[in-house]
Amino acid sequence: MSRRIHPAVVGAQPFQLTARERFDGPIFETEEGKHRLEAALSRYPTKQAALLPMLGFVQSVKGWIEPADMVEVAEALDLTPAYVHSIATFYTMYNKHPVGRHFVQVCTNISCHLNRAEEVLHRFLAETGTREGEISDDGEFTVIEAECLGACGFATVVQVNDRYLEDVTPDRVPGIVENLRGGRDP
Amino acid sequence: MAENGAKATVTLTIDGVEVTVPSGTRVIEAAEHVGVVVPRYCYHPGIPTRPAQCRMCLVEVEGRPKLEPSCTLQAADDMVVNTASDTARTARQSVIEFLLVNHPLDCPICDAAGQCMLQDYAYVTNQLESRVDEPKRIMGRDRISDDILYFADRCVICTRCVRFMRDVAEDDSLIVAQRGDKAYIDTFPGRELDNPFQGNIVDVCPVGALVHEDFVFKARSWDMDATASVCPGCPTGCNVTIDTKENQIVRVKPRHNAAVNSWWMCDYGRKHLVMTNRGVRAEVPLIRDGGGDGDDGGELRPVDWATALDWVAEKVAALGAPGGSAVVSPDASNENLFYLRTLLDRLGVADAAFRVPQGETAELPTVPTLKLRADRAANAAGAGFFGGRRADGPPDGPAGGALVVLDDELEGAGEDFGGSADFFLYLGTRLPGPARNADAVLPIATFAEMDGTFTNFENRVQRFHQALRPPGLARPGWMVLSRVLARLGDGEAVNDVRGAFERMAAQAPAFAGLTWDGIGLKGAPAAGSAAEAAGVAGPAEAGA
Repeated sequence: MSRRIHPAVVGAQPFQLTARERFDGPIFETEEGKHRLEAALSRYPTKQAALLPMLGFVQSVKGWIEPADMVEVAEALDLTPAYVHSIATFYTMYNKHPVGRHFVQVCTNISCHLNRAEEVLHRFLAETGTREGEISDDGEFTVIEAECLGACGFATVVQVNDRYLEDVTPDRVPGIVENLRGGRDP
Repeated sequence: MAENGAKATVTLTIDGVEVTVPSGTRVIEAAEHVGVVVPRYCYHPGIPTRPAQCRMCLVEVEGRPKLEPSCTLQAADDMVVNTASDTARTARQSVIEFLLVNHPLDCPICDAAGQCMLQDYAYVTNQLESRVDEPKRIMGRDRISDDILYFADRCVICTRCVRFMRDVAEDDSLIVAQRGDKAYIDTFPGRELDNPFQGNIVDVCPVGALVHEDFVFKARSWDMDATASVCPGCPTGCNVTIDTKENQIVRVKPRHNAAVNSWWMCDYGRKHLVMTNRGVRAEVPLIRDGGGDGDDGGELRPVDWATALDWVAEKVAALGAPGGSAVVSPDASNENLFYLRTLLDRLGVADAAFRVPQGETAELPTVPTLKLRADRAANAAGAGFFGGRRADGPPDGPAGGALVVLDDELEGAGEDFGGSADFFLYLGTRLPGPARNADAVLPIATFAEMDGTFTNFENRVQRFHQALRPPGLARPGWMVLSRVLARLGDGEAVNDVRGAFERMAAQAPAFAGLTWDGIGLKGAPAAGSAAEAAGVAGPAEAGA
């Protein structure tokens, strides 16, 4: 399943597109992990510079970044775990807590807000039976409110893992949730 | 003009005063030349990185539209700097106001109160009422290492501690976690700092955020007395300030000396010094003059100083020069060692063994002179100057003649140590078991209880001052020994360390040309090297 990735997009290319199941264990011992690390290191003048892409990779594989992952990244990049911790906590979009298999982010900034984003958010929470940030009982969903996702022309925008859903209305939400649950395209 | 201009100095005006400084000097440092201390948090002269992030040192420069951070601004010719203009003061006041938004204002229970830069600057801004209605963010307290606590609410995120660890100690294990108003100082989850120099992060903290656990709630800053001293932990001789309260050492902080320890000291030294509070001390002169039960011998009995000194002088005079041996402590001051050497020469004792306990070493990577050295003694170099011989293993008593011990704990010595000596004189801060075999025990002060000098590893003579009152009748060794010698017609009894130092400088070649006042608080190199001086056993020409 390993795809060759051009170094120029190593930090941006999502892994979730191919990984339906979350991975657990040492990441940089996997084929994909080794390849990602190598590609990132070839792109930057220092190992330290590869930190953000590698954290992003970890998150795309595991859904969140736990302390053990930070240690692993630190070792791979010759950094201290403490430094990796400081970077991972500085950026709020790295999840430091576990999330469901489908990580649903509902934009509620101006354009989306004008297009009933709050209703969409509450519909998602109701359909998944969670409160904001919680993992649903079946482990499938975590729903959070997000700041602008940069697709204001297609409000309301919802991001599920790495995938954008555009023009989402409250009525579409049950179908999306059902499809995700069934492992189908939303 | 910077690179090829070859201009060595620049002249600028700061707060109306013209000052000439080496080119490359930052304005915040140039300002100190004219007596202006620009408020600062993130700037610390001992930490190389200058993030200019606290925005406290903003100053107005004529002709520039915006305020400039004086910690990174290079002084330039014809620059006109105003550190206290209305604009600069207003900017500073805004910074303070923002810092106080979430500050708990727990000064009444904060250990930094009275020595806190946030407190000082907040008073200067004179804004007595908060304009904030919202509740304060509350973060609580964390443990950074086995003996350092972090009070996150008090923190101003100047990152001095983080940058000390990263840029000075080169140990990137202390970091800023989160960001904005949620930012706090942290280690990796589940780990603690483990660096032999980590205690310095407490000293660089401008507020009460980082505190040594053994100092928490122990003393208010205005109740303490500060004394300039030298750390006796190892031959480096870091310059320190000893803070005392009620005749106890409560805190030790490094004192700046560019030639020795820069701004720092190691944790071993810190703890070692505080530990000197502990233990049972020798507090009264004891002599075995058979007082009461007839003949010589019998029990050691406590006497006053005059009786003890008279008796010891009498014994020494009666002995002549029988030879013998001596054990000295490498923690004794130069003055103590000098007077002891004078006495030993009179007794014909050439050999003076000193034993130096060994320990692990630790280096601060960016400060080559600062190192916790393996020798765990303050003044082995000084002991060498006065005919000392480095020895291993426990001391064994001589077959006969005189035996003089200066403050050695006599660890490993036999039960009957010194039993076969004709005369056994013990001068000590404590009274270990084997010392009870002595014919006379004279209680002396520790280095913290008197004035004196140590010679450090590179033969730098450094002054320390009296921080504590000695217990009971204990007195400085040089004071005691000068009195024994005075009774023998050799010199005068000295009460002031200047007198002791003066005589030492006159008679000991290593100290030739040095004066107590000339040494100052930063120390001065001794004459000649240790190797040279070792050959010069003692002042044989001592006026006897």
